[in-house]
Amino acid sequence: MIESPDLMSTPLLTHEVGSLDKPGWRVKAYAGKALEDRDLEEARSWGERVGVEDYEQLIALLRRSPLQAKEDKESVKRWSSRYGLRLQESAGLDAAYDGEQQRSEMYAWAVAHTNGFEWRGSVRAFDNKYYSKAAVTGPISLTEPYHADEFAFLKGIARAELKVPITGAYTIADWSFDERYFQDHDLNVAHAARRAARHQARREFILDVSRNVIRPNLEALIRLGAKWIQIDEPGGSTDPDELDLFAESFNESVQGLDALFSTHLCFSDYNLFFPGIEAMTGCRQFCVGFANYDSRDLGVSSEARPGYAVIAKFRDLPYRPALGLGVLDIHTDFIEPPELVRDRILYAVDVFGDPRRIQVTPDCGLRTRSWDVAYRKLQNMVEGTLLAKKDLGL
Amino acid sequence: MPLAVAAYQHGIYPRSEDVVAATRGLERGRVGSEDVDRTFQAEKEDFLLTQREAGLDYFSDGLLRWQDIFRPLVHLSAGLDARTLVRWFNNNSFFRAPEVTGELAVTAPEPREMQDNGDVPEPKVATLPSPYLFSRAAHEDHDRNALMMEVAREILRPVAQSLVSSGYRLIHLEEPWLPYFGIDAADWDDFEKALQEIHEVAQGATLVLHAYFGDAGPYVDRLRRLPVDAIGIDFVETDLDELGKEWGIGLMAGVLDGRASPIESVEGTVEFARRVADTLQPTSLFLSSNCELEFLPRDLARQKVLRLGQVSARLKESLA
Repeated sequence: MIESPDLMSTPLLTHEVGSLDKPGWRVKAYAGKALEDRDLEEARSWGERVGVEDYEQLIALLRRSPLQAKEDKESVKRWSSRYGLRLQESAGLDAAYDGEQQRSEMYAWAVAHTNGFEWRGSVRAFDNKYYSKAAVTGPISLTEPYHADEFAFLKGIARAELKVPITGAYTIADWSFDERYFQDHDLNVAHAARRAARHQARREFILDVSRNVIRPNLEALIRLGAKWIQIDEPGGSTDPDELDLFAESFNESVQGLDALFSTHLCFSDYNLFFPGIEAMTGCRQFCVGFANYDSRDLGVSSEARPGYAVIAKFRDLPYRPALGLGVLDIHTDFIEPPELVRDRILYAVDVFGDPRRIQVTPDCGLRTRSWDVAYRKLQNMVEGTLLAKKDLGL
Repeated sequence: MPLAVAAYQHGIYPRSEDVVAATRGLERGRVGSEDVDRTFQAEKEDFLLTQREAGLDYFSDGLLRWQDIFRPLVHLSAGLDARTLVRWFNNNSFFRAPEVTGELAVTAPEPREMQDNGDVPEPKVATLPSPYLFSRAAHEDHDRNALMMEVAREILRPVAQSLVSSGYRLIHLEEPWLPYFGIDAADWDDFEKALQEIHEVAQGATLVLHAYFGDAGPYVDRLRRLPVDAIGIDFVETDLDELGKEWGIGLMAGVLDGRASPIESVEGTVEFARRVADTLQPTSLFLSSNCELEFLPRDLARQKVLRLGQVSARLKESLA
């Protein structure tokens, strides 16, 4: 295990980003449905494969399906959490979590535990993937710190360092409709005045989420002993005109709190972040997806690594954060060979000139992949990191 | 002579919770493809009913089966693939960027997603990506203007020609790239030639180029001279006062916000549309949303379509 104070100076630290798919047995059992033999076999085989201790107890519980008692369903969620953690640990990651097995979804979970929102329906993200979208309609407050139980449970069983992912304020606001802060959509209002009012309303909305939702969650996690918290902001780069709000919301969320804070960004034109994120001085690491844009050919030249062209801008940030280098494309079942992972790392280390500022991660959560694909990807990521370390003499 | 006003809904329409469940189920092996087909068909019928109820002047199939605005064309043409997921402008929505792998050539007259649209009443509206958008959104390391011309000539032209012969009377070209990211002065001539390729075969239909997700004001003089019948403007992002006067071309006014859940008032929207008509004096006026409605849950989108019909009816009355 790597001790927390050294996390940000450990060369080529490996970790996952966030969510994993939920196993069939977890989904069905939690929904109170009957399980089939193949579900039990899935629980058994993965329990064995990733070294889940006492997994036979889970099998016994699942054999009683359909489960109706709330405590049984909660137990299934915790088992799933344990499986997710062990999957990452047994893949060899330095820092891990549970693949967000106890949460519904990164946005839905946050909104469901927050006052002031109402659900509006499903919206497509891409292909046949959708998310539930809510509208802010009233004063925003936290019903209860919504990651505390999960963290307390994982802290008790983790072998690796824990990195807690929490959905950030900007993303929660950006993925919601605003029916409270900006209401005057009348096009007859002078255009410049309407734009200014809209921007001001966005700022109030985002900062209310920072202060009333994210910060109390962070405080609760820190009280429980969390050392590293990743603020997930996949919406953070959505609008270049709002990078000031994105940076302000991050700072407002973490200012003065005693933990290591990083952020995760994905699937955007990252050039748009600069210079806006120069203001995020409290961010010790940016975990960013790049493999999605990269070639699958081997090589360590800039021509061979087109997906990583922007990383020099992260290197040049004045507060010298680490870069969580996305080396696994999470939108495909292609299993990146260790040699490809190695070359992506070597290219980044060459650009940064310091392996302590490079960490190795997937592009994003592996939720859209099967556990088998996710596991093999992560194993190859770890193996590729070892190859890179060998090449670098680390 | 009173100004001709017509309303239509363009772009990808959101999927209902039934379709969401069916397509999710298909991916997880819990639902068969025939069940999914039935759900899509019911959804299309529902959208047609909504358009009728709203009293719209053109009918769309809602592009319900389109995975993004490029994918059916990528599948239709040789020499294209789609893999990399890219954010669709400033939305929590993504498309797979077209990737050029060889010579472009359509393998059928129309995308298969449009082939069973015999039940869509005429006049029909089709939505396609603008050639400039296509060439900029694609993964292409070489000459993007050459790609723009090739896409226009080898894909959009034959598809548009086929659509016109199938009863489509309005072809709506989505062009968010231009107002969002801009365009180099040197690229306008090629863009014009690319549009000309489509315009030539779209006789008998109205060709609309819709500039949205950004301020069209800086580009309006050149936009108005392009070989299309109408220019679409996103009035959530564009200041009417920056668009000049006496347009001398048709206008599609995007007056309902496709990314905000509040439903606009009829009175305020009609008042604004009336001001648009008086100020710009277009040769024809089309009313619609400022962008596709895909960013709204289906029930909210339906309310927007119904509101569009109410606004259109009231505006027609006031201009009669």
